[in-house]
Amino acid sequence: MSADKILHGGSDLDPFAGELPRLSDALSRRINTDPEGLERGLAQLVLTIIELLRQLMERQALRRIDGGSLSEEQVERLGRTFMELDKRMEQLREEFGLTEEDLNLDLGPLGRLL
Amino acid sequence: VIELYAIAAHPGPPLPEPLHEVRAGELAAICAPAEEREITPEALWHHEQIVEALMEDRDLLPVRFGTRLDDDAAAARSLAERHAELERALERVRGAVELAVRAVLAEPGEDAAPEGDSGADYLRVKRRASAAHEAVAAAVHAPLAALARAHAERPPRPPEVLRAAYLVDRGAVGTFARHVARLDERHPELRLLCTGPWPPYSFADR
Repeated sequence: MSADKILHGGSDLDPFAGELPRLSDALSRRINTDPEGLERGLAQLVLTIIELLRQLMERQALRRIDGGSLSEEQVERLGRTFMELDKRMEQLREEFGLTEEDLNLDLGPLGRLL
Repeated sequence: VIELYAIAAHPGPPLPEPLHEVRAGELAAICAPAEEREITPEALWHHEQIVEALMEDRDLLPVRFGTRLDDDAAAARSLAERHAELERALERVRGAVELAVRAVLAEPGEDAAPEGDSGADYLRVKRRASAAHEAVAAAVHAPLAALARAHAERPPRPPEVLRAAYLVDRGAVGTFARHVARLDERHPELRLLCTGPWPPYSFADR
């Protein structure tokens, strides 16, 4: 982006620069058929879907807590479940060399999945 | 094969080479002969620059990068088929441009999972973080939305807490940018970035 497009941004744009590598990644993405790449791609897809469900369930759980329909014990149990799931996802991500951002899909006009 | 760049009203200001107009009623598709090319950031940028140059002296609906049709007749047909819809969309963006605003937390931090093994605490921290993000995003978004003709929010990608596009009258771009600057000052916990003017990508098809 050329500087004349920045209407306001202060002097330090680093916090916003995370986008840039994403663009070239998206453009250079090709179907990768070597076995290792394929396995990683499959893991990425599966983990993305699990992550989507995890976030939806977590949001739903927070809403139910706000609604006051859960006992303390239920809240505790739910929280532990999500905490475990969170840790487990992190382990799996590491195992396949994926970052949090990798677990997101660009759905074109619908925007990003997560 | 032709490549589409924008939909605009007909008649419009003259077009630079190699662009030409394909007309259907009061609308025109602005096209050029398609070239063989690799999909690179440069190609995308080139497309964007053409659309931005067109935007300077006319209102338009930007066409997504990589949209190709067989020939002028195919473009005319597809214009005619969606004529009413496109005309309405063009009316919506008339005299306006798109500005993008993103907000990130100045100090991203306590969003991560808390230490300890209490499930209830874990959820409490999560909820507090998400409520705080929403509040801060709303504090920025609401006043900006009030200055805009339309707005479109996108899911923010952490550490962002707000990612939104605003359809702003051409004459009000400066006011909008100054308002962003004021909000940035008023919210030391946030960093704001405002870019534009862009072709109204977020408002072309709704």
